[in-house]
Amino acid sequence: MTRALITGNQAAAWGARLARADYMPAFPITPQTEIIETLAGWIDSGEMDCRMVMMESEHSMITAAGAAAATGVRVFTATSSQGLMYAMEMIYGVPGMRAPFVLVNVSRGLQTPVTLEPDHTDVLAARDSGFLQIHCATCQEVLDQTLIAYRLAEHHRVRLPVIVNLDGFYLSFTREPVEIPDPAAVDRFLPGFDPETTRFRAGEPLSQGVVVLGSTPYSYFRYETHLAALQGLPAYAEIAADFAAQFGREYGALETYRSDDAEWVLFIMGSFATKAKDAVDRMREAGWKVGLVRPRLLRPFPDEPLRQVLAGKRGVAVVDQNLSMGKGGVLHSELASVLYGQLDAPPILASFIGGLGGRDIAPEEFYEMIQVLHRAAEEGKPPPPRLLFTGDELREVRKLQAIAHAERTEGLK
Amino acid sequence: MSEQTVTIYKRMKDLPSTRLLGAGTPMCAGCGGLQAVHEIYDILGEKTVFVNAAGCMTLLAVYPFTPFRGSWLYTSMASAPAGAQGVRDALDILLAKQRIKQEQDLDVVVLTGDGAAYGMGLSSTSSAIERGLDFIYVCYDNEGYGNTGQQTSAATPHGARTSTSTDARGFGGFKKDLFAIWAAHRPAYVATVIGSEPLDLARKIEKAKAMKGPRLIIALSPCPTGWDFDPMESAEIGHLAVKTGVWPLKEYENGQVTHTKVPSEWLPVEEYLKKQGRFAHLFKPQRNKALISEIQTRVDAYWAEVERA
Amino acid sequence: MYRIRFHGRGGQGTKTASRMLGTAFFLAGYQVQDAPRYGAERRGAPIFAYVRAAKEAIHERGVIREPNLVVVADDSLVPVPAAGVLQGATARSVMLISSSESAATWRDRLNFPGTVLTLPAEASEQAELCFVGAACTGAAARLLGVIPRAILEAAVREELSALGEDIIRRNLEQALAAFDCMEPHAGSVNEGVAFSVADAKAPDWIDLPVDESDAAAAAIHASATSVEVRTGLWRVLRPVIDYDRCNRCWWVCSEFCPDSAIKVDADGRPEIDYDHCKGCMICVAQCPPHAIAAVPEQEFSEKTP
Repeated sequence: MTRALITGNQAAAWGARLARADYMPAFPITPQTEIIETLAGWIDSGEMDCRMVMMESEHSMITAAGAAAATGVRVFTATSSQGLMYAMEMIYGVPGMRAPFVLVNVSRGLQTPVTLEPDHTDVLAARDSGFLQIHCATCQEVLDQTLIAYRLAEHHRVRLPVIVNLDGFYLSFTREPVEIPDPAAVDRFLPGFDPETTRFRAGEPLSQGVVVLGSTPYSYFRYETHLAALQGLPAYAEIAADFAAQFGREYGALETYRSDDAEWVLFIMGSFATKAKDAVDRMREAGWKVGLVRPRLLRPFPDEPLRQVLAGKRGVAVVDQNLSMGKGGVLHSELASVLYGQLDAPPILASFIGGLGGRDIAPEEFYEMIQVLHRAAEEGKPPPPRLLFTGDELREVRKLQAIAHAERTEGLK
Repeated sequence: MSEQTVTIYKRMKDLPSTRLLGAGTPMCAGCGGLQAVHEIYDILGEKTVFVNAAGCMTLLAVYPFTPFRGSWLYTSMASAPAGAQGVRDALDILLAKQRIKQEQDLDVVVLTGDGAAYGMGLSSTSSAIERGLDFIYVCYDNEGYGNTGQQTSAATPHGARTSTSTDARGFGGFKKDLFAIWAAHRPAYVATVIGSEPLDLARKIEKAKAMKGPRLIIALSPCPTGWDFDPMESAEIGHLAVKTGVWPLKEYENGQVTHTKVPSEWLPVEEYLKKQGRFAHLFKPQRNKALISEIQTRVDAYWAEVERA
Repeated sequence: MYRIRFHGRGGQGTKTASRMLGTAFFLAGYQVQDAPRYGAERRGAPIFAYVRAAKEAIHERGVIREPNLVVVADDSLVPVPAAGVLQGATARSVMLISSSESAATWRDRLNFPGTVLTLPAEASEQAELCFVGAACTGAAARLLGVIPRAILEAAVREELSALGEDIIRRNLEQALAAFDCMEPHAGSVNEGVAFSVADAKAPDWIDLPVDESDAAAAAIHASATSVEVRTGLWRVLRPVIDYDRCNRCWWVCSEFCPDSAIKVDADGRPEIDYDHCKGCMICVAQCPPHAIAAVPEQEFSEKTP
């Protein structure tokens, strides 16, 4: 074991290296590029025995990744944002082949307008695809979860590809101290890939990814993929326990922080959760009974564990770093569906949209969210959804609009 | 690659007399594409994995029925060559790491229609060639988006009626020269074939099979449904495509293009055109002399160029 | 509500037939729903289409559970299980088969509890394949008894308006002749009833087991299973080899057969696999000594029932 100061991108690369990935189809996109550059460097120097192929698009990259996994090698690949969107046909296409591999997504907001900074709308577009999703909050977690992701993907009851998500900039380009496990220890945790019978070999005829005609086999195959994804919950628990036993780091499907005796809970996913944790400490110092719950697994969604940790709470503030146009925050809807009808469910479930395109969330905003919960509980009325956006920010936009507008009208004269 | 392989297909009697591709596929009766594909499969054999793009032949394998004795992988309309890349690379890795034996290896064959080959899949094909991927690409070219009812594609010939080019002159554009586009990448091998010339086809597939690197085949595929003719005429229309010079049988190798079957006497193109409903408007209600002669002129110009070279 | 199902083969105008009937109902003042059912099927393959018509709004969609009238444009489909001609038919259903055989023969053969009628040979036999649909529509209109002759004519004209007067005229002849010849059975199709709560049986819902991943993927771990699909059923013409004329050439017939349906033995003797031959007749066209003849499939079904 060594301890090093590395970025989230490098941590992802270390995960792929320690997993002894055989194959990496690649395509560069900001802010993911450092992952493939790091791996390319190791491959060129002979430190890693992996074949990397630069593809011409993410659509082709995911096709090649799925095809190689279906042939029986351990595959790693990575993308971000528009790249994930470009690959989306195949993101939805490959899970049904039941060929496991790992895709790291470095979250970045989607166009239009184009931005480079993160939010989760990109990776949530893959929510219903059959890929499982693990979301990270620290660089250490990125490395560790990449190893866990291989075990999860290749688990006999699961056999599905897995996305490991880290936030652009906040993790991708941010260095933190990371424990890099010994390769021998990783080999014990993660043995070589067994493709089972999903493989192309002479003398073993296999037609893969074929058409079905008729709704009955279609319903069967689609629902089986869903059932396999649900098998990911017990499989993940088993694998995370094994990981903790070997490496001493705990990664439950949910991270809970000071939530046991809390009356009010912040529910938030990804690296901004560490900021929220800090706010929880400050509020605790002020005597507020506040805790935090962060889902590491988005798919499968940990329904039952969430019901348990949120039972009896007075209110939950869901912070969505994503936006479903015409509905609002995705996690808010997901959590509502988990809690609705539960007798001891929190009566207040408030929706906050924040961190879009990497917009900061200030400590006082977390404090105010708890105040909103308080007031809502007193009034007995759920609060309307709230975008985290201040008067100063609007004034800034107005200034930009003034310039944009002036230039346009001058040009017309 | 420089050594000259001697063909085992010297005469018709040398062609395989047993059929490898299973019967019972849902392709239309009289499908010229399936005719070419079964002939190709007879030569390539079952130690193959076909990587398929969206098109008519997506339906070759419909759960739980497959005509293949070897393997098959469906990808998407745009990315079959990328699927081939993944399979080929994985097999190479498994061989290099000694996780499979040499006899478990497979030839990787992309199978797409013209819609994918000439259009949506051109980027992934270009890139696979440029990466030197060791694969065979077979395009069954029925000159339109056949599986959806024969809309105009980039392979549709000038003057043909399609379900989206319905006016009196038919399609106003011109068939894209995919052979030249592929050859411009300088791959190991490019060839045109047609099912109705099985000896020429067999020699080319035999040659391609013996090579390494990107090897690309376009099979003109007379399509009773899309071209509107009696399925019985399928092979005859194939013969006429060659005898009129509309479909030149040729191959590209080492920077050179060679024509493999040049008829000693040309039939006029209208012999080919008038058999097909998609060109019926050239003859009825009255003969469109200008358009027929325009098509003839283009074919003549092509062959004049070949003669000069 | 009237629930009508048409069966035919790709290329026989089954969809058009269903639309002509749909339009006729529409012109007669009915609420209508008509739809073809597409699969991967090609020319010659069994296809079907639905028509629903009622005086009140129609909320049903998709599959017809219990047809009041089943129209079969091609009698060779009746014994084909995949065609599903008898699907959901009951003692209350009427089955109309375009056939040169008698209704009594079909009734015996099918052991069908409902009414069986045939659209007799004189109305359908000479009709070219593409006009069978119109004849079926005409017959169906009369059996339903609620579509006047003039409205049938208007519906045929409307549906075929893009095809020119000659095609319209020939289809009309077929449709009206069939309408007239069904006069003795006019109105023999009754409207169906709604599916009541009282008669309903609870569905046999199950919890789907979690299957092994290789079984639960749409992957085929086997070789050439397509031979289990009997595409020979698509055929309306049968190629028959005259072995006296066959000169054991370089298996032109087998080479050109797109469907791997002609096997050649060691002596060069070809044999046609009728389970899979789709009847394209390329072999008939290409056989060098003209040793293969195209024989209507009907001649065989009559000889060998």
